[in-house]
Amino acid sequence: MAGHHLIDEYLADLGRRLPADRVDELADGLLETWQRLVRSGLAPADAARAAIVEFGTAEQITRAFVAQSPGRRIAVSMLASGPLVGACWGAGLITAKAWTWPVPTPAAAVFALTLLTVVAALISAATSRSSYRRTRLGAAGGLGIVVLDATMLVTVLLIAPVPVWPMYVAIPVSLARIGLTLRSLPRALTHE
Amino acid sequence: MRAEAQALKGHLDVLLLAALEDGPRHGYAVKESLREGSGGRFDLPTGTVYPALHRLEGAGLIAGDWSVVDGRRRRTYQLTAAGERRLHADRGNWREFAAAVTAMLEPGPWPATT
Repeated sequence: MAGHHLIDEYLADLGRRLPADRVDELADGLLETWQRLVRSGLAPADAARAAIVEFGTAEQITRAFVAQSPGRRIAVSMLASGPLVGACWGAGLITAKAWTWPVPTPAAAVFALTLLTVVAALISAATSRSSYRRTRLGAAGGLGIVVLDATMLVTVLLIAPVPVWPMYVAIPVSLARIGLTLRSLPRALTHE
Repeated sequence: MRAEAQALKGHLDVLLLAALEDGPRHGYAVKESLREGSGGRFDLPTGTVYPALHRLEGAGLIAGDWSVVDGRRRRTYQLTAAGERRLHADRGNWREFAAAVTAMLEPGPWPATT
């Protein structure tokens, strides 16, 4: 595909770091650069080196894509809003004495375990600097948050004997988060 | 002049939108448009232009399409209606800002303070 083995090696390096679509797009631009430099009179090897310098290092490009990745953006927004939503639900559950609700212990344990897993995935995606693969965890984490929010809403709707005031804050906040996350998820899932 | 890259940070979005104002372009052509349009002063590392284009696409300001040219896959971008509105607004803001800075920096008589 490429015009010189140095360019092939550079693209192979990018291919190990970035999704195929990104690499195809970069390859097109890199080959355009190389061809322009060859036409200007540089030897093919010199043109390949100059084109690669003009593009930036694979690490530099990967970091730029990671910083802009939709998955990482979802993870950052989930982690930023998490304490507020969590505090609302925490206050609601404590005020409603949720430990007296007829929720099977295994179900509560699965919920808690899922929450911890989702938070770990979001932290991993949000703190990624040079691993594009890790940013994909942001979309999975966002999906997990939607499921957890929906589970909380259904549980409260079906089991809570009497709604308490903090839930009047938690419920719309959760619904808003579900809506915003579902709007962002398609891009994060299809562009990675 | 790579030193200009740092100064460009806050203005990159509007410059990329302006580079697409005359019609669809692929990433390398956008980068070349920036370089040529600035007389060589805005010569960004090409690879970092692509992530910025993806960000603008995610924000709905530009739209990308794949085609095949010389046997290679090529992604071409064009302004969306939202992108055109943003470009128009940012251009107006920039003109006001630049006029104010120029007025301050140009030598001239200062008002008397008695």
